Amino acid sequence: MKFRCERDVLADVLGTAGKAVSARGGALPVLSCLRLALVGDTLRVTGSDLDLTITATAEVDGTADGEAVIPSKLAADIVRVLEPGAVELEVGDDEATITLGRAQFNVRTIPGTEYPRLQEPPQHGVTLPSHSLAEALRQVVAAASTDDSRPILTGVLITTEGDGLRLVATDSYRLAIRDLPGTSLLAEGQSVLVPRTALQELARVADKSAEVTVRLGDRDAAFDVGGVSLMTRLIEGEFPPYRSLIPAAQPNRLTIGREALLDAVRRVKVVAREPSTPVRLALRADGVDLSATAQDVGTAFEQLDAKYEGTEMSVAFNPDYLMAGIEAATGDEITLETVDALKPALLRSVDVAEFLYLLMPVRVA
Amino acid sequence: MFVLIPRAPRAEATILHADLDAFYASVEQRDDPRLRGRPVIVGGGVVLAASYEAKAHGIRTAMGGAEARRRCPGAIVVRPRMSAYTEASRAVFREFEDTTPLVEGLSIDEAFLDVGGLRRLAGTPEQIAVDLRRRVAERVGLPITVGVACTKFLAKVASGVAKPDGLLVVAPGTEEAFLHPLPVERLWGVGPVTSEKLRNRGIATVGEVAGLHEDALVAMLGPASGRHLHALAHNRDPRPVRVGRRRGSIGAQRALGGGASHTDVDEALVALVDRVCRRLRTARRVGRTVTLRLRFGDYARATRSHTLPHATDRTHTVLDTARRLLSGARPLLAEKGCTLVGVAVSGLADAVPVQLELALDRHDRALDVALDELRERFGSRAVTRAVHLGRDPGLTVPLLPD
Repeated sequence: MKFRCERDVLADVLGTAGKAVSARGGALPVLSCLRLALVGDTLRVTGSDLDLTITATAEVDGTADGEAVIPSKLAADIVRVLEPGAVELEVGDDEATITLGRAQFNVRTIPGTEYPRLQEPPQHGVTLPSHSLAEALRQVVAAASTDDSRPILTGVLITTEGDGLRLVATDSYRLAIRDLPGTSLLAEGQSVLVPRTALQELARVADKSAEVTVRLGDRDAAFDVGGVSLMTRLIEGEFPPYRSLIPAAQPNRLTIGREALLDAVRRVKVVAREPSTPVRLALRADGVDLSATAQDVGTAFEQLDAKYEGTEMSVAFNPDYLMAGIEAATGDEITLETVDALKPALLRSVDVAEFLYLLMPVRVA
Repeated sequence: MFVLIPRAPRAEATILHADLDAFYASVEQRDDPRLRGRPVIVGGGVVLAASYEAKAHGIRTAMGGAEARRRCPGAIVVRPRMSAYTEASRAVFREFEDTTPLVEGLSIDEAFLDVGGLRRLAGTPEQIAVDLRRRVAERVGLPITVGVACTKFLAKVASGVAKPDGLLVVAPGTEEAFLHPLPVERLWGVGPVTSEKLRNRGIATVGEVAGLHEDALVAMLGPASGRHLHALAHNRDPRPVRVGRRRGSIGAQRALGGGASHTDVDEALVALVDRVCRRLRTARRVGRTVTLRLRFGDYARATRSHTLPHATDRTHTVLDTARRLLSGARPLLAEKGCTLVGVAVSGLADAVPVQLELALDRHDRALDVALDELRERFGSRAVTRAVHLGRDPGLTVPLLPD
């Protein structure tokens, strides 16, 4: 195998496919490697941890077809430190040579036969506009759990809602829902649970093309977008019944500028040295007072004008969770609806009905 | 309360480690003269405590009852009386607190005492220790061993060496001479695994550990253990005695009949988690780390833990986590059978502020609170889970710090 391409092109495909490579390598050292395959001028780079497989494709200047398996991190590190310019990669019997200008690296390769045979993606595909899917993913994925001890919560539920699609994620502290009306992907009543990690990577690459093709199988899902294909194992199990958690009507409603609230939370949070230090919102008729107090450190306080309908009350939130919700909402104004300081608060955009964020408060008394 | 008493570097041996001998068994021998001088085992299914006469036959705490009776057929087995032990412990701690205000309780039957600065009032540390042992014997009727040294670590080693019913003062300047001939297992933190690693390399005494370079120990045992042992072997332990230190964890454990199945263990676990979480809520504490301890039919032990994203006091969350840990140990359990299960919640913090959880599983926090109130008013057996209907709740004992 031998080809030439711009350093940035190679860095991009190595980086993208490398996202699926498990950091630990695990029981199979070959999984800490990437598989490179060149046919004509098409280079395909594949990384996998067997749950998630990412293949990135690039057009290069090919001289000799072939394949090679090289250590992912080392290859990415090498390409990153190279000067910009045309890089050449040539694979011999047990070594790959990476050359750019007068810099040359020889990297030991692993025989291609040792790389595991990866599953074929499901056949049937549906094409969606990638922009709206990427936006929906960015709004929802952050609410999925990173705690592997509850596998179901590490997934994003993709289900049908009316004539469209719905994405739901929760880590049990907050819940994010985004509807994509008019988007059909699933059969009526069908739903799948896709790992957060796969969708995070999908959101990262979704801007590469205007369309994304989604293929759903019984156990796997595959996404193709702009030369990148992701295949992931689906999570098995029942997503918790989330509908009953969403209150129909809440007695107290704060309406406030989105950016203003986000900036104020960000400022007040500065004194919170520990992630468990909450930001308090004192809600009153013509505004909201934000404050944070960290023992032995200090306090922060900020007043914001806002419209508030309801009883005066104070409620506290984890600042990161609150900021994630405000960031995920779109539009100029948002509403925050509550019952009391111990019940879930509902955050959504004033003029966008498709997104909602439910957040449990922090109990402070 | 958590009070840190700053103190000047210590040249004098002023720290006492006071440790009741074979505590439960000693209380039984105190209360029943027929048991005195005879091998006594507290606890039938599993040995909770053994008198020194029983220990002479090779009986150890946490040994299975059948094995204990095999080793010493003449041993007298008595049922544990937890309330008597709690009462005795309180009486002993009153004596500690009469000795010095600087008392750091380690568990129901041991504590560190700092007697620095009491020389003119009460005499030398050695005289204070002699007096304390006499008062505990006279007023509470229990034997207690005291180690006296300049660091907490060394005081604990000294009491371990002096047991039973003894007193050992490690005079300033003689620390290394005392420490170095001791076997490595005397060092805090050297369990069977570390001990084997050291002994495989021909290192059997504390002195031999002290002779190694810190880097060599780190390479052998990892950074945390390596540095820890290096410091201890050179008697470096700067920790002061901390008054009124709060518990670092809340837990409970329960011995099971030989070869308990996964279902039996799960039932016991549910009861333990109920109890631990109720104690958490009563103490107005929340914790992040759930630890499951298992002991198997062949005495092998397993400890599994998981740290949650946020601290909790919710029964459902802790139970869910503990069950996941248990299912990870399923193959071992099926193979060997389980003889003891324990669960502890650590990483404790005050119950406020605490991140609340969505009622994803329809188990609202209100349910926990309602159950607590019922049990508070009508007793701990007033409400029970369906899995425990018609079952003996069994004996649970507070889990002592390691």
